[in-house]
Amino acid sequence: MLKYLLNRLFWMAPLLVGISLISFLIMHLAPGDITSTEASFNPKTSEESRQKLRELYNLDKPVIVQYGLWLKRMSTLDFGHSFASHQSPVFWQETDKDGNVTKGMIQEALPITLLINVLSLILIIGIALPLGVISALTQNQLPDRSITIFVFIGFAIPSFWLALMLMYWTGVSHNWLPISGLHSLGADKFSAFAQLLDTLKHLTLPILISGLTGLAGISLFVRNGMLDVLHQDYITTARAKGLPENTVVYKHALRNALLPLITIFGLSIPGLIGGSVIAESIFAIPGMGKLFYDAVLMRDFPVIMGILTIGSALTLMGNLLADLAYAWADPRVRKGVAQ
Amino acid sequence: MNAILKNPLALAGLIIIGIISIMAIFAPIIAPFDPDAINVKNILLSPSAAHWMGTDGLGRDVYSRMLYGARISLLVGIVAVGIATIIGIVLGAIAGFYRGWVDTVIMRLVDVMLSIPTFFLILAVIAFLTPSIWNIMIVIGLTSWMGVTRLVRAEFLSLRNREFVLASQTLGAKDSRLIFKQLLPNSLTPIIVSSVLGIASAVLVESGLSFLGLGVQAPQASWGNILTDGKEYIEFAWWLSMFPGLAILITVMGYNLLGEGLRDALDPRTSNNK
Repeated sequence: MLKYLLNRLFWMAPLLVGISLISFLIMHLAPGDITSTEASFNPKTSEESRQKLRELYNLDKPVIVQYGLWLKRMSTLDFGHSFASHQSPVFWQETDKDGNVTKGMIQEALPITLLINVLSLILIIGIALPLGVISALTQNQLPDRSITIFVFIGFAIPSFWLALMLMYWTGVSHNWLPISGLHSLGADKFSAFAQLLDTLKHLTLPILISGLTGLAGISLFVRNGMLDVLHQDYITTARAKGLPENTVVYKHALRNALLPLITIFGLSIPGLIGGSVIAESIFAIPGMGKLFYDAVLMRDFPVIMGILTIGSALTLMGNLLADLAYAWADPRVRKGVAQ
Repeated sequence: MNAILKNPLALAGLIIIGIISIMAIFAPIIAPFDPDAINVKNILLSPSAAHWMGTDGLGRDVYSRMLYGARISLLVGIVAVGIATIIGIVLGAIAGFYRGWVDTVIMRLVDVMLSIPTFFLILAVIAFLTPSIWNIMIVIGLTSWMGVTRLVRAEFLSLRNREFVLASQTLGAKDSRLIFKQLLPNSLTPIIVSSVLGIASAVLVESGLSFLGLGVQAPQASWGNILTDGKEYIEFAWWLSMFPGLAILITVMGYNLLGEGLRDALDPRTSNNK
């Protein structure tokens, strides 16, 4: 197990270097140097701040040296300051000489996005699991057919359109749920419980959107996994020795069918993080997606590079966690028997 | 071909894509109005005999704009996937055929690309370019080749040591002959299936980008940017958001049905069970 972990960690290093290289190359995609791009989109940029930028990214030095220096700054988690929003630190909070703390932009946005994604993952599991199992157990019968149609629609439905429709239906015509932001006006005067309830209400639609769009894939995956497992010899054996059907299905089959799901969740992290752009910008939720979208609109380089790097690092960490969870759950990997 | 026509999924997909393609190709003939003609007297009319899908905030005919938008969606989807497929075939073939360190480098590159959240990557690149339909195609293509690469590599690895390949190698066939005459033709089925499914997701990405205002720019019509207007007028004009959304849904579903149907029809391994 330890050997496995070390091996996995070892392979993460070249991936991190690759990610930083690609992020760096994107930054150099812009015609001219980034200070001129930034200036052309934001006429308020002063010569002083452009000079600052040139120094920050060492633009007067050769590209390879620039990359090295940038990597060095990255490795100390120094992502610089935002151009657009009052020089806020991109990643983590800073204390100035008077002791005032300025929160980092990613520091504030990340927990919101993580919360939405974790809750929508729970929603996905809660709905997709039973759907997939029912579908597999009634293969090619009516329930399976209807769930399959649902899956095809789920794959094809544009999340932003679904968001608009839900927003219209629950927010505009029925006024059931708030459709924008994270808190109601004056929520800071509410009691702690009311504040929590208020935030949850604001998060309902974004969570529904990111949950519903991920549902189809997972339920199809559970269905196919169950079907594969149900045709295995050990299931036939279990049935032959007279175990009750429920034990066969839920204890023998389902547990084995769920194993690969761990990997799928790991693999779906980049999609979920990336997908947060649409849901968060529609509902004005101040998470990573909205932060990134605003940064793209304003060509706020340090924020773009910071989120790209942090987002990728999170994905790597998610994959690593998924692999470890898989190794922990599967005795064949845990004891190093197979592969 | 017969197998495709007998498969209900593939047939349904083919019909949907066929109809939408015909509407897109003949848009100038079918469209009742000029899609860009602004008419301030006809702002936000609800659907009627004259304007089947109503008019938008500038009095433009939504049905005509939808027809021209179909051109954008189909074109972006096909060109982007074309780019991705070519890159995927080249890299996958090199990795699977030559193996060794080339393979390791290419597969690590795939891993790196897969660990950057795709939508972030696309948006980051677009932030530095002027949004245009060509840039969108290139960016989507350059960020979605990883699946094809893995697929082609896996096919090549499994075919590489099959007897018919080894036989022609023994007979002195050059690498290029092995690759183009034997390995590639035998890997075509999964490549076609994944390309068709890839078009579906490219259509979704393009419409998402256009919706966010980072894709196809107004006044050029695309389903995504009609929806942006729809969001603006959601309280008074349901037709502005209903029709483009349905169009995207149906198109994407068409490609998905076609892809899944082709997989069932062409691949003997999956046609029996599931």
